[in-house]
Amino acid sequence: MMNQMTLSQMRQGLLAKDFSSTELVHETFRNIEEADKSVHAFLELTEDAALETARVVDDSITMGTFDEMGILAGIPVAYKDNMNLLGTHTTCSSNMLANYVSPYTATCVQRTLDEGAIPIGKLNMDEFAFGSSTETSAFGATCNPWDLSRVPGGSSGGSAAAVASGMVPATLGSDTGGSIRQPAAFCGVIGIKPTYGVVSRYGVVAFGSSLDQVGPFARSVEDAAVLMNAISGHDPLDCTSQHISTDFTAGLADGIKDMKIGIVPAFMEAKGLSDEVKSKVEEVIEVVRSQGAQIVEIDLPNAQAAMSAYYVLGPCEAFSNLARFDSIRYGYMDPGHSNMDDQYDFSRAKGFGEEARRRIMLGSYLLSAGVYDKYYYPAQQVRTLITQDYASAFEKVDCIIAPVAPRTAFKMGEIADPSEMYLSDMFTISINIAGNGGMSMPVGLGSDTGLPVGVQLISPAFKDENMLKVAAALERQYGIAKVAPAFCADAKKGGE
Amino acid sequence: MQHVNESDVAGIAQYVRIAMSDEEIAKMTVDLNNIIDSLAPITEYDLSGVEPTFHPIGDISNIMREDELKESFSQEVALENASRQEDGSFLIPSILGEGGDR
Repeated sequence: MMNQMTLSQMRQGLLAKDFSSTELVHETFRNIEEADKSVHAFLELTEDAALETARVVDDSITMGTFDEMGILAGIPVAYKDNMNLLGTHTTCSSNMLANYVSPYTATCVQRTLDEGAIPIGKLNMDEFAFGSSTETSAFGATCNPWDLSRVPGGSSGGSAAAVASGMVPATLGSDTGGSIRQPAAFCGVIGIKPTYGVVSRYGVVAFGSSLDQVGPFARSVEDAAVLMNAISGHDPLDCTSQHISTDFTAGLADGIKDMKIGIVPAFMEAKGLSDEVKSKVEEVIEVVRSQGAQIVEIDLPNAQAAMSAYYVLGPCEAFSNLARFDSIRYGYMDPGHSNMDDQYDFSRAKGFGEEARRRIMLGSYLLSAGVYDKYYYPAQQVRTLITQDYASAFEKVDCIIAPVAPRTAFKMGEIADPSEMYLSDMFTISINIAGNGGMSMPVGLGSDTGLPVGVQLISPAFKDENMLKVAAALERQYGIAKVAPAFCADAKKGGE
Repeated sequence: MQHVNESDVAGIAQYVRIAMSDEEIAKMTVDLNNIIDSLAPITEYDLSGVEPTFHPIGDISNIMREDELKESFSQEVALENASRQEDGSFLIPSILGEGGDR
Protein backbone atom coordinates (compact mmCIF):
# COMPACT_ATOMS: atom_id res chain seq x y z
CA MET A 1 0.00 0.00 0.00
CA MET A 2 2.98 2.30 0.48
CA ASN A 3 3.08 2.97 -3.24
CA GLN A 4 -0.29 4.70 -3.09
CA MET A 5 0.75 7.10 -0.35
CA THR A 6 1.20 10.76 -1.02
CA LEU A 7 4.21 12.64 0.26
CA SER A 8 2.17 14.02 3.16
CA GLN A 9 0.89 10.55 4.10
CA MET A 10 4.44 9.20 4.06
CA ARG A 11 5.56 11.98 6.35
CA GLN A 12 2.76 11.18 8.77
CA GLY A 13 3.62 7.47 8.61
CA LEU A 14 7.26 8.17 9.43
CA LEU A 15 6.32 10.48 12.32
CA ALA A 16 3.85 7.93 13.72
CA LYS A 17 6.53 5.23 13.35
CA ASP A 18 4.20 3.14 11.21
CA PHE A 19 7.32 2.35 9.20
CA SER A 20 10.92 3.48 9.22
CA SER A 21 12.59 5.48 6.51
CA THR A 22 14.77 2.47 5.72
CA GLU A 23 11.70 0.26 5.36
CA LEU A 24 10.11 2.83 3.07
CA VAL A 25 13.24 2.95 0.92
CA HIS A 26 13.45 -0.84 0.66
CA GLU A 27 9.77 -0.97 -0.25
CA THR A 28 10.27 1.79 -2.84
CA PHE A 29 13.08 -0.06 -4.63
CA ARG A 30 11.24 -3.38 -4.43
CA ASN A 31 8.23 -1.71 -6.04
CA ILE A 32 10.35 -0.01 -8.72
CA GLU A 33 12.01 -3.30 -9.58
CA GLU A 34 8.58 -4.74 -10.31
CA ALA A 35 6.76 -1.76 -11.85
CA ASP A 36 9.59 -0.34 -13.92
CA LYS A 37 9.90 -3.57 -15.93
CA SER A 38 6.87 -2.40 -17.85
CA VAL A 39 7.03 1.40 -17.43
CA HIS A 40 10.75 2.10 -17.97
CA ALA A 41 10.72 5.45 -16.23
CA PHE A 42 14.13 5.10 -14.56
CA LEU A 43 17.53 5.29 -16.23
CA GLU A 44 19.54 4.92 -13.02
CA LEU A 45 18.77 4.06 -9.41
CA THR A 46 20.66 5.51 -6.45
CA GLU A 47 20.01 2.84 -3.85
CA ASP A 48 23.20 3.32 -1.82
CA ALA A 49 22.69 7.06 -1.43
CA ALA A 50 19.02 6.45 -0.63
CA LEU A 51 19.77 3.98 2.16
CA GLU A 52 22.44 6.23 3.57
CA THR A 53 20.00 9.14 3.76
CA ALA A 54 17.31 6.87 5.18
CA ARG A 55 19.61 5.93 8.07
CA VAL A 56 20.09 9.61 8.87
CA VAL A 57 16.32 10.14 8.79
CA ASP A 58 15.74 7.12 11.03
CA ASP A 59 18.32 8.41 13.50
CA SER A 60 16.53 11.75 13.58
CA ILE A 61 13.23 10.00 14.30
CA THR A 62 14.86 8.08 17.16
CA MET A 63 16.43 11.22 18.56
CA GLY A 64 13.29 13.29 18.16
CA THR A 65 14.91 15.71 15.71
CA PHE A 66 12.85 14.70 12.66
CA ASP A 67 11.35 18.18 12.32
CA GLU A 68 14.81 19.65 11.88
CA MET A 69 15.49 17.35 8.91
CA GLY A 70 13.37 19.46 6.59
CA ILE A 71 10.01 19.42 4.84
CA LEU A 72 10.91 16.46 2.61
CA ALA A 73 12.55 14.32 5.31
CA GLY A 74 12.36 10.67 4.32
CA ILE A 75 10.41 11.33 1.10
CA PRO A 76 11.57 9.37 -1.98
CA VAL A 77 12.19 11.82 -4.82
CA ALA A 78 13.52 11.18 -8.34
CA TYR A 79 14.90 13.58 -10.92
CA LYS A 80 14.69 14.11 -14.65
CA ASP A 81 17.95 13.02 -16.21
CA ASN A 82 18.90 16.53 -17.29
CA MET A 83 19.54 17.42 -13.63
CA ASN A 84 23.01 16.92 -12.26
CA LEU A 85 23.28 14.84 -9.11
CA LEU A 86 26.85 14.30 -7.94
CA GLY A 87 28.15 10.87 -8.88
CA THR A 88 25.18 9.86 -11.06
CA HIS A 89 25.03 9.67 -14.82
CA THR A 90 23.26 12.71 -16.26
CA THR A 91 22.55 11.61 -19.81
CA CYS A 92 19.66 13.80 -21.02
CA SER A 93 18.65 10.46 -22.59
CA SER A 94 21.30 11.05 -25.25
CA ASN A 95 24.20 8.97 -26.49
CA MET A 96 26.08 12.26 -26.36
CA LEU A 97 26.10 12.07 -22.54
CA ALA A 98 25.76 8.30 -22.04
CA ASN A 99 28.99 8.13 -20.03
CA TYR A 100 28.86 11.56 -18.40
CA VAL A 101 29.02 11.42 -14.60
CA SER A 102 27.96 14.56 -12.73
CA PRO A 103 30.81 16.26 -10.87
CA TYR A 104 28.30 18.43 -8.99
CA THR A 105 24.64 18.71 -8.01
CA ALA A 106 22.01 21.02 -9.53
CA THR A 107 20.53 23.57 -7.12
CA CYS A 108 16.96 22.27 -7.49
CA VAL A 109 18.13 18.75 -6.63
CA GLN A 110 20.32 19.98 -3.77
CA ARG A 111 17.39 21.90 -2.26
CA THR A 112 15.32 18.71 -2.05
CA LEU A 113 18.27 16.90 -0.46
CA ASP A 114 18.77 19.78 1.98
CA GLU A 115 15.13 19.27 3.00
CA GLY A 116 15.83 15.61 3.76
CA ALA A 117 14.56 14.01 0.54
CA ILE A 118 15.73 10.49 -0.33
CA PRO A 119 17.29 10.42 -3.82
CA ILE A 120 15.85 7.43 -5.69
CA GLY A 121 17.25 7.88 -9.18
CA LYS A 122 17.18 9.55 -12.57
CA LEU A 123 14.28 9.59 -14.98
CA ASN A 124 13.87 9.09 -18.70
CA MET A 125 13.05 11.97 -21.03
CA ASP A 126 13.04 12.96 -24.67
CA GLU A 127 16.63 13.44 -25.80
CA PHE A 128 17.79 16.84 -24.52
CA ALA A 129 14.07 17.50 -23.80
CA PHE A 130 13.26 17.76 -27.52
CA GLY A 131 9.94 16.02 -27.79
CA SER A 132 6.45 15.45 -26.46
CA SER A 133 6.39 11.67 -26.05
CA THR A 134 9.68 10.45 -24.48
CA GLU A 135 10.06 8.30 -27.62
CA THR A 136 13.21 10.17 -28.65
CA SER A 137 15.16 8.87 -25.64
CA ALA A 138 18.30 7.11 -26.82
CA PHE A 139 17.67 4.51 -24.12
CA GLY A 140 14.16 3.43 -25.09
CA ALA A 141 10.73 4.97 -24.60
CA THR A 142 8.83 5.19 -21.32
CA CYS A 143 5.32 3.70 -21.30
CA ASN A 144 2.20 5.38 -19.99
CA PRO A 145 1.18 3.57 -16.77
CA TRP A 146 -2.51 3.93 -17.72
CA ASP A 147 -1.99 2.09 -21.01
CA LEU A 148 1.43 0.66 -21.71
CA SER A 149 0.91 0.88 -25.47
CA ARG A 150 0.69 4.65 -25.19
CA VAL A 151 3.26 7.38 -24.61
CA PRO A 152 3.53 9.14 -21.23
CA GLY A 153 3.96 12.50 -22.96
CA GLY A 154 7.16 14.43 -22.81
CA SER A 155 9.70 15.57 -22.53
CA SER A 156 9.48 14.81 -18.78
CA GLY A 157 7.73 11.49 -19.48
CA GLY A 158 9.75 9.52 -16.93
CA SER A 159 8.99 12.08 -14.21
CA ALA A 160 5.23 11.83 -14.86
CA ALA A 161 5.12 8.04 -15.30
CA ALA A 162 7.12 7.38 -12.10
CA VAL A 163 4.52 9.29 -10.06
CA ALA A 164 1.51 7.89 -11.96
CA SER A 165 2.67 4.32 -11.33
CA GLY A 166 3.23 4.99 -7.63
CA MET A 167 6.96 4.30 -7.78
CA VAL A 168 7.70 7.60 -6.04
CA PRO A 169 5.34 10.27 -4.66
CA ALA A 170 7.34 13.17 -6.09
CA THR A 171 9.67 13.95 -8.98
CA LEU A 172 11.19 16.98 -10.63
CA GLY A 173 10.96 17.79 -14.33
CA SER A 174 11.65 20.72 -16.60
CA ASP A 175 9.36 22.58 -18.99
CA THR A 176 10.44 24.62 -22.01
CA GLY A 177 7.22 24.49 -24.05
CA GLY A 178 4.97 22.11 -22.09
CA SER A 179 7.37 19.39 -20.99
CA ILE A 180 6.02 19.19 -17.44
CA ARG A 181 2.35 19.99 -18.06
CA GLN A 182 1.67 17.74 -21.07
CA PRO A 183 3.13 14.52 -19.55
CA ALA A 184 1.35 15.32 -16.27
CA ALA A 185 -1.92 15.51 -18.23
CA PHE A 186 -1.22 12.28 -20.15
CA CYS A 187 -0.36 10.40 -16.93
CA GLY A 188 -3.07 11.89 -14.69
CA VAL A 189 -0.80 13.58 -12.15
CA ILE A 190 -0.11 17.15 -11.08
CA GLY A 191 2.72 18.94 -12.90
CA ILE A 192 3.74 22.54 -12.29
CA LYS A 193 5.74 24.87 -14.49
CA PRO A 194 6.41 27.76 -12.12
CA THR A 195 6.86 31.32 -13.30
CA TYR A 196 10.21 31.80 -15.01
CA GLY A 197 12.58 32.87 -12.23
CA VAL A 198 10.92 30.97 -9.36
CA VAL A 199 13.31 27.98 -9.49
CA SER A 200 17.05 28.00 -10.20
CA ARG A 201 18.20 26.15 -13.31
CA TYR A 202 21.82 25.89 -12.19
CA GLY A 203 23.00 22.37 -12.97
CA VAL A 204 20.07 21.57 -15.27
CA VAL A 205 21.30 20.95 -18.82
CA ALA A 206 20.10 23.98 -20.79
CA PHE A 207 17.69 23.72 -23.75
CA GLY A 208 16.05 27.12 -24.26
CA SER A 209 17.51 29.42 -21.66
CA SER A 210 14.82 32.12 -21.91
CA LEU A 211 12.09 29.46 -21.62
CA ASP A 212 13.33 26.63 -19.35
CA GLN A 213 11.89 26.26 -15.88
CA VAL A 214 12.08 23.42 -13.33
CA GLY A 215 9.00 22.20 -11.49
CA PRO A 216 7.49 19.35 -9.48
CA PHE A 217 5.23 16.39 -10.21
CA ALA A 218 3.04 14.98 -7.43
CA ARG A 219 -0.36 13.40 -6.82
CA SER A 220 -1.80 15.91 -4.34
CA VAL A 221 -1.90 19.68 -4.44
CA GLU A 222 -0.44 19.92 -0.95
CA ASP A 223 2.49 17.70 -1.98
CA ALA A 224 3.12 19.85 -5.05
CA ALA A 225 3.02 22.99 -2.91
CA VAL A 226 5.50 21.49 -0.41
CA LEU A 227 7.85 20.70 -3.29
CA MET A 228 7.46 24.26 -4.60
CA ASN A 229 8.44 25.55 -1.15
CA ALA A 230 11.52 23.32 -1.21
CA ILE A 231 12.87 24.25 -4.64
CA SER A 232 11.86 27.90 -5.12
CA GLY A 233 13.91 30.97 -4.43
CA HIS A 234 17.03 32.87 -5.31
CA ASP A 235 20.25 31.09 -6.21
CA PRO A 236 23.35 33.19 -6.81
CA LEU A 237 24.34 30.65 -9.46
CA ASP A 238 21.30 31.42 -11.68
CA CYS A 239 20.95 35.15 -12.17
CA THR A 240 17.36 34.76 -13.42
CA SER A 241 16.22 33.22 -10.12
CA GLN A 242 14.28 35.61 -7.93
CA HIS A 243 13.89 36.05 -4.20
CA ILE A 244 10.68 34.16 -3.42
CA SER A 245 9.24 34.12 0.07
CA THR A 246 5.83 32.68 -0.81
CA ASP A 247 4.55 29.74 1.24
CA PHE A 248 2.76 27.84 -1.51
CA THR A 249 0.90 25.66 0.99
CA ALA A 250 -0.75 28.68 2.60
CA GLY A 251 -4.22 29.43 1.33
CA LEU A 252 -4.91 26.02 -0.18
CA ALA A 253 -7.88 25.61 2.12
CA ASP A 254 -9.17 29.13 1.52
CA GLY A 255 -11.48 28.22 -1.32
CA ILE A 256 -11.99 30.19 -4.50
CA LYS A 257 -15.06 32.17 -3.63
CA ASP A 258 -14.78 35.60 -5.26
CA MET A 259 -11.76 34.60 -7.32
CA LYS A 260 -12.03 35.68 -10.92
CA ILE A 261 -11.25 32.86 -13.33
CA GLY A 262 -10.59 33.56 -16.99
CA ILE A 263 -11.60 31.35 -19.88
CA VAL A 264 -10.41 31.79 -23.45
CA PRO A 265 -13.23 31.09 -25.93
CA ALA A 266 -10.77 30.90 -28.85
CA PHE A 267 -8.91 28.04 -27.13
CA MET A 268 -12.13 26.07 -26.78
CA GLU A 269 -12.78 26.37 -30.51
CA ALA A 270 -9.19 25.53 -31.48
CA LYS A 271 -8.73 23.14 -34.35
CA GLY A 272 -7.51 19.78 -33.09
CA LEU A 273 -9.01 20.04 -29.59
CA SER A 274 -10.72 16.69 -28.94
CA ASP A 275 -14.32 16.57 -27.76
CA GLU A 276 -13.49 14.70 -24.56
CA VAL A 277 -10.84 17.22 -23.47
CA LYS A 278 -13.12 20.11 -24.37
CA SER A 279 -16.01 18.72 -22.37
CA LYS A 280 -13.73 18.10 -19.37
CA VAL A 281 -12.57 21.71 -19.44
CA GLU A 282 -16.21 22.84 -19.66
CA GLU A 283 -17.05 20.59 -16.71
CA VAL A 284 -14.18 22.10 -14.69
CA ILE A 285 -15.42 25.61 -15.45
CA GLU A 286 -18.78 24.61 -13.94
CA VAL A 287 -17.03 23.14 -10.88
CA VAL A 288 -15.17 26.36 -10.13
CA ARG A 289 -18.33 28.36 -10.79
CA SER A 290 -20.23 26.18 -8.33
CA GLN A 291 -17.55 26.85 -5.71
CA GLY A 292 -18.18 30.56 -5.96
CA ALA A 293 -15.62 31.73 -8.49
CA GLN A 294 -16.61 34.28 -11.07
CA ILE A 295 -16.01 33.21 -14.69
CA VAL A 296 -14.75 35.94 -17.01
CA GLU A 297 -14.22 35.56 -20.74
CA ILE A 298 -10.83 36.87 -21.82
CA ASP A 299 -9.04 37.24 -25.11
CA LEU A 300 -5.43 36.34 -25.88
CA PRO A 301 -5.44 37.59 -29.48
CA ASN A 302 -1.81 36.76 -30.19
CA ALA A 303 -1.71 33.33 -28.58
CA GLN A 304 -2.01 31.59 -31.94
CA ALA A 305 1.36 33.01 -32.91
CA ALA A 306 3.01 31.42 -29.87
CA MET A 307 3.51 28.12 -31.64
CA SER A 308 5.56 29.52 -34.48
CA ALA A 309 7.37 31.95 -32.17
CA TYR A 310 8.36 28.99 -30.00
CA TYR A 311 9.60 26.91 -32.91
CA VAL A 312 11.79 29.85 -33.83
CA LEU A 313 13.08 30.73 -30.36
CA GLY A 314 13.44 27.20 -28.97
CA PRO A 315 15.69 25.83 -31.75
CA CYS A 316 17.74 29.05 -31.85
CA GLU A 317 18.48 28.80 -28.14
CA ALA A 318 19.03 25.03 -28.38
CA PHE A 319 21.46 25.48 -31.27
CA SER A 320 23.44 27.88 -29.12
CA ASN A 321 23.28 25.74 -25.96
CA LEU A 322 24.26 22.52 -27.74
CA ALA A 323 27.33 24.08 -29.31
CA ARG A 324 29.18 23.18 -26.10
CA PHE A 325 29.25 19.49 -26.96
CA ASP A 326 32.68 19.39 -28.55
CA SER A 327 33.73 15.80 -27.67
CA ILE A 328 36.74 17.12 -25.78
CA ARG A 329 35.84 18.16 -22.25
CA TYR A 330 32.90 15.77 -21.82
CA GLY A 331 30.40 13.98 -23.98
CA TYR A 332 30.72 11.42 -26.74
CA MET A 333 33.99 11.31 -28.68
CA ASP A 334 34.02 9.34 -31.89
CA PRO A 335 37.34 7.50 -31.80
CA GLY A 336 40.03 7.17 -34.43
CA HIS A 337 40.05 10.58 -36.08
CA SER A 338 43.41 12.10 -36.86
CA ASN A 339 42.16 15.65 -37.25
CA MET A 340 40.03 17.82 -35.02
CA ASP A 341 37.41 18.72 -37.64
CA ASP A 342 36.49 15.09 -38.23
CA GLN A 343 36.41 14.40 -34.51
CA TYR A 344 33.94 17.28 -34.03
CA ASP A 345 31.77 16.36 -37.00
CA PHE A 346 31.49 12.63 -36.36
CA SER A 347 31.18 12.93 -32.57
CA ARG A 348 28.26 15.33 -32.93
CA ALA A 349 26.71 13.30 -35.76
CA LYS A 350 26.74 10.09 -33.73
CA GLY A 351 26.19 11.61 -30.30
CA PHE A 352 23.04 13.57 -31.13
CA GLY A 353 19.82 11.82 -32.14
CA GLU A 354 17.66 12.80 -35.09
CA GLU A 355 15.44 15.39 -33.38
CA ALA A 356 18.43 17.06 -31.69
CA ARG A 357 20.22 17.29 -35.04
CA ARG A 358 17.07 18.71 -36.64
CA ARG A 359 16.68 21.43 -34.00
CA ILE A 360 20.36 22.37 -34.07
CA MET A 361 20.21 22.78 -37.85
CA LEU A 362 16.93 24.67 -37.75
CA GLY A 363 18.30 27.04 -35.11
CA SER A 364 21.44 27.65 -37.10
CA TYR A 365 19.40 28.42 -40.21
CA LEU A 366 17.03 30.77 -38.36
CA LEU A 367 19.91 32.77 -36.91
CA SER A 368 21.76 33.11 -40.19
CA ALA A 369 22.18 36.46 -41.90
CA GLY A 370 19.03 37.59 -43.72
CA VAL A 371 16.90 34.88 -42.09
CA TYR A 372 17.31 36.36 -38.59
CA ASP A 373 15.26 39.41 -39.58
CA LYS A 374 12.54 37.31 -41.12
CA TYR A 375 11.94 34.92 -38.19
CA TYR A 376 14.02 35.44 -35.06
CA TYR A 377 13.50 39.17 -34.54
CA PRO A 378 9.73 39.01 -35.29
CA ALA A 379 9.44 36.06 -32.88
CA GLN A 380 10.89 38.24 -30.12
CA GLN A 381 8.43 41.00 -31.07
CA VAL A 382 5.58 38.50 -30.95
CA ARG A 383 6.82 37.59 -27.48
CA THR A 384 6.14 41.18 -26.46
CA LEU A 385 2.56 40.95 -27.80
CA ILE A 386 1.88 37.62 -26.06
CA THR A 387 3.30 38.95 -22.79
CA GLN A 388 1.08 42.04 -23.08
CA ASP A 389 -1.94 39.80 -23.79
CA TYR A 390 -1.38 37.92 -20.55
CA ALA A 391 -0.67 41.12 -18.61
CA SER A 392 -3.96 42.68 -19.70
CA ALA A 393 -5.87 39.43 -19.12
CA PHE A 394 -4.51 39.24 -15.60
CA GLU A 395 -5.77 42.75 -14.90
CA LYS A 396 -9.23 41.16 -15.07
CA VAL A 397 -8.69 37.66 -13.64
CA ASP A 398 -6.64 35.81 -11.00
CA CYS A 399 -6.18 32.59 -12.92
CA ILE A 400 -7.00 31.19 -16.37
CA ILE A 401 -8.43 27.75 -17.13
CA ALA A 402 -7.49 26.14 -20.46
CA PRO A 403 -6.79 22.74 -21.96
CA VAL A 404 -3.29 21.29 -21.42
CA ALA A 405 -2.96 19.03 -24.45
CA PRO A 406 -5.50 18.87 -27.27
CA ARG A 407 -6.10 15.14 -26.67
CA THR A 408 -5.29 12.29 -24.31
CA ALA A 409 -2.17 10.12 -24.59
CA PHE A 410 -1.46 8.83 -28.07
CA LYS A 411 -0.11 5.44 -29.11
CA MET A 412 3.61 4.77 -29.34
CA GLY A 413 4.73 5.54 -32.88
CA GLU A 414 1.38 7.12 -33.77
CA ILE A 415 2.83 10.56 -34.51
CA ALA A 416 5.87 10.38 -36.77
CA ASP A 417 5.72 13.81 -38.42
CA PRO A 418 7.71 16.33 -36.31
CA SER A 419 5.41 19.24 -37.19
CA GLU A 420 2.38 17.24 -36.01
CA MET A 421 4.17 16.26 -32.78
CA TYR A 422 4.78 19.95 -32.10
CA LEU A 423 0.99 20.50 -31.92
CA SER A 424 0.95 18.62 -28.60
CA ASP A 425 2.13 21.85 -27.02
CA MET A 426 -0.33 24.24 -28.69
CA PHE A 427 -1.95 25.30 -25.39
CA THR A 428 1.15 25.30 -23.20
CA ILE A 429 3.75 27.14 -25.26
CA SER A 430 2.46 30.70 -24.91
CA ILE A 431 3.03 30.48 -21.15
CA ASN A 432 6.74 29.74 -21.63
CA ILE A 433 6.96 32.58 -24.12
CA ALA A 434 5.41 35.02 -21.64
CA GLY A 435 7.11 33.45 -18.63
CA ASN A 436 4.19 33.17 -16.20
CA GLY A 437 3.19 30.05 -14.27
CA GLY A 438 1.08 27.16 -15.53
CA MET A 439 0.16 23.73 -14.19
CA SER A 440 -1.69 20.62 -15.20
CA MET A 441 -4.35 19.39 -12.79
CA PRO A 442 -5.81 15.90 -13.31
CA VAL A 443 -9.62 15.92 -13.48
CA GLY A 444 -10.55 12.33 -14.17
CA LEU A 445 -10.80 10.29 -17.34
CA GLY A 446 -11.90 11.27 -20.82
CA SER A 447 -15.32 10.01 -21.89
CA ASP A 448 -14.07 8.55 -25.20
CA THR A 449 -10.66 7.09 -24.47
CA GLY A 450 -10.95 6.45 -20.72
CA LEU A 451 -7.52 8.00 -20.33
CA PRO A 452 -6.48 10.79 -17.92
CA VAL A 453 -7.32 14.38 -18.81
CA GLY A 454 -5.65 17.41 -17.26
CA VAL A 455 -6.78 20.99 -17.26
CA GLN A 456 -4.32 23.81 -17.35
CA LEU A 457 -4.39 26.47 -14.67
CA ILE A 458 -2.42 29.58 -15.57
CA SER A 459 -1.19 32.17 -13.07
CA PRO A 460 0.04 35.71 -13.40
CA ALA A 461 3.82 36.00 -13.17
CA PHE A 462 5.03 35.34 -9.61
CA LYS A 463 1.49 34.62 -8.42
CA ASP A 464 1.86 30.85 -8.73
CA GLU A 465 -0.10 30.47 -5.49
CA ASN A 466 -3.24 31.49 -7.42
CA MET A 467 -3.26 28.39 -9.61
CA LEU A 468 -2.51 26.19 -6.61
CA LYS A 469 -5.59 27.59 -4.86
CA VAL A 470 -7.76 26.72 -7.85
CA ALA A 471 -6.10 23.31 -8.05
CA ALA A 472 -6.97 22.70 -4.40
CA ALA A 473 -10.58 23.58 -5.18
CA LEU A 474 -10.62 21.09 -8.04
CA GLU A 475 -9.04 18.45 -5.82
CA ARG A 476 -11.96 18.82 -3.42
CA GLN A 477 -14.21 17.82 -6.32
CA TYR A 478 -12.09 15.21 -8.10
CA GLY A 479 -9.99 13.83 -5.24
CA ILE A 480 -6.27 13.19 -5.03
CA ALA A 481 -4.75 11.87 -8.26
CA LYS A 482 -4.89 8.10 -8.31
CA VAL A 483 -2.08 5.70 -9.08
CA ALA A 484 -2.78 4.04 -12.45
CA PRO A 485 -5.01 0.99 -11.81
CA ALA A 486 -2.51 -1.62 -13.05
CA PHE A 487 -0.03 -0.41 -10.44
CA CYS A 488 -2.30 -0.29 -7.40
CA ALA A 489 -1.23 -2.98 -4.93
CA ASP A 490 -4.86 -3.91 -4.24
CA ALA A 491 -5.88 -4.19 -7.85
CA LYS A 492 -2.90 -6.39 -8.51
CA LYS A 493 -3.74 -8.79 -5.72
CA GLY A 494 -7.27 -9.02 -7.06
CA GLY A 495 -5.99 -9.66 -10.54
CA GLU A 496 -3.46 -12.33 -9.75
CA MET B 1 7.70 26.09 -50.40
CA GLN B 2 11.41 25.53 -50.67
CA HIS B 3 13.29 27.64 -48.16
CA VAL B 4 16.51 25.62 -48.22
CA ASN B 5 17.95 23.26 -50.82
CA GLU B 6 20.33 20.38 -50.28
CA SER B 7 23.36 22.52 -50.84
CA ASP B 8 22.18 24.98 -48.15
CA VAL B 9 21.60 22.12 -45.74
CA ALA B 10 25.06 20.70 -46.44
CA GLY B 11 26.45 24.14 -45.61
CA ILE B 12 24.49 24.31 -42.35
CA ALA B 13 25.68 20.80 -41.43
CA GLN B 14 29.25 21.90 -41.90
CA TYR B 15 28.68 25.04 -39.84
CA VAL B 16 27.08 23.20 -36.91
CA ARG B 17 29.76 20.51 -37.11
CA ILE B 18 27.54 17.53 -37.79
CA ALA B 19 28.72 15.03 -40.40
CA MET B 20 25.85 14.02 -42.69
CA SER B 21 25.55 11.63 -45.63
CA ASP B 22 23.84 12.73 -48.87
CA GLU B 23 20.86 10.63 -47.88
CA GLU B 24 20.61 12.32 -44.47
CA ILE B 25 20.92 15.73 -46.10
CA ALA B 26 18.06 14.92 -48.49
CA LYS B 27 15.77 13.90 -45.63
CA MET B 28 16.81 16.85 -43.47
CA THR B 29 16.08 19.21 -46.36
CA VAL B 30 12.49 17.94 -46.55
CA ASP B 31 12.05 18.15 -42.75
CA LEU B 32 13.46 21.66 -42.48
CA ASN B 33 11.32 22.97 -45.34
CA ASN B 34 8.21 21.54 -43.70
CA ILE B 35 9.06 23.03 -40.34
CA ILE B 36 9.96 26.42 -41.80
CA ASP B 37 6.62 26.39 -43.66
CA SER B 38 4.86 25.98 -40.32
CA LEU B 39 6.62 29.11 -39.01
CA ALA B 40 4.84 31.29 -41.57
CA PRO B 41 2.49 33.03 -39.08
CA ILE B 42 5.47 34.81 -37.57
CA THR B 43 6.17 36.51 -40.90
CA GLU B 44 2.56 37.61 -41.39
CA TYR B 45 2.22 39.90 -38.38
CA ASP B 46 2.25 43.64 -38.55
CA LEU B 47 4.95 44.25 -35.99
CA SER B 48 5.90 47.80 -36.85
CA GLY B 49 6.74 49.71 -33.69
CA VAL B 50 6.68 46.60 -31.46
CA GLU B 51 9.77 46.29 -29.30
CA PRO B 52 11.24 42.80 -29.02
CA THR B 53 11.33 40.94 -25.69
CA PHE B 54 14.46 38.84 -25.59
CA HIS B 55 13.90 37.56 -22.09
CA PRO B 56 10.91 37.10 -19.75
CA ILE B 57 12.71 38.98 -17.00
CA GLY B 58 13.61 42.15 -18.77
CA ASP B 59 15.22 44.28 -16.14
CA ILE B 60 18.23 42.12 -15.30
CA SER B 61 21.50 43.90 -15.91
CA ASN B 62 24.97 42.58 -15.26
CA ILE B 63 25.10 40.94 -11.86
CA MET B 64 28.49 41.02 -10.19
CA ARG B 65 29.80 39.28 -7.11
CA GLU B 66 32.79 40.09 -4.96
CA ASP B 67 35.98 38.81 -6.53
CA GLU B 68 36.79 36.32 -3.79
CA LEU B 69 38.64 33.04 -4.06
CA LYS B 70 36.16 30.19 -3.78
CA GLU B 71 36.42 26.46 -3.98
CA SER B 72 35.83 25.12 -7.49
CA PHE B 73 36.58 21.97 -9.48
CA SER B 74 40.07 20.57 -9.09
CA GLN B 75 41.96 19.84 -12.29
CA GLU B 76 41.35 16.15 -11.65
CA VAL B 77 37.57 16.56 -11.40
CA ALA B 78 37.47 18.82 -14.45
CA LEU B 79 39.16 16.07 -16.47
CA GLU B 80 37.00 13.21 -15.17
CA ASN B 81 34.59 13.26 -18.10
CA ALA B 82 37.13 13.77 -20.86
CA SER B 83 37.43 10.87 -23.29
CA ARG B 84 41.14 11.44 -23.69
CA GLN B 85 43.57 13.16 -21.36
CA GLU B 86 47.30 13.28 -20.86
CA ASP B 87 49.48 14.87 -18.19
CA GLY B 88 46.57 16.72 -16.65
CA SER B 89 45.33 18.15 -19.96
CA PHE B 90 42.59 17.41 -22.46
CA LEU B 91 44.05 15.45 -25.37
CA ILE B 92 42.88 16.27 -28.91
CA PRO B 93 44.08 15.38 -32.40
CA SER B 94 46.79 17.74 -33.59
CA ILE B 95 45.41 20.87 -35.23
CA LEU B 96 48.62 21.98 -36.88
CA GLY B 97 51.10 20.12 -39.05
CA GLU B 98 50.95 16.35 -39.61
CA GLY B 99 47.39 15.06 -39.60
CA GLY B 100 46.06 18.50 -38.84
CA ASP B 101 45.32 19.66 -42.35
CA ARG B 102 41.90 21.23 -42.73
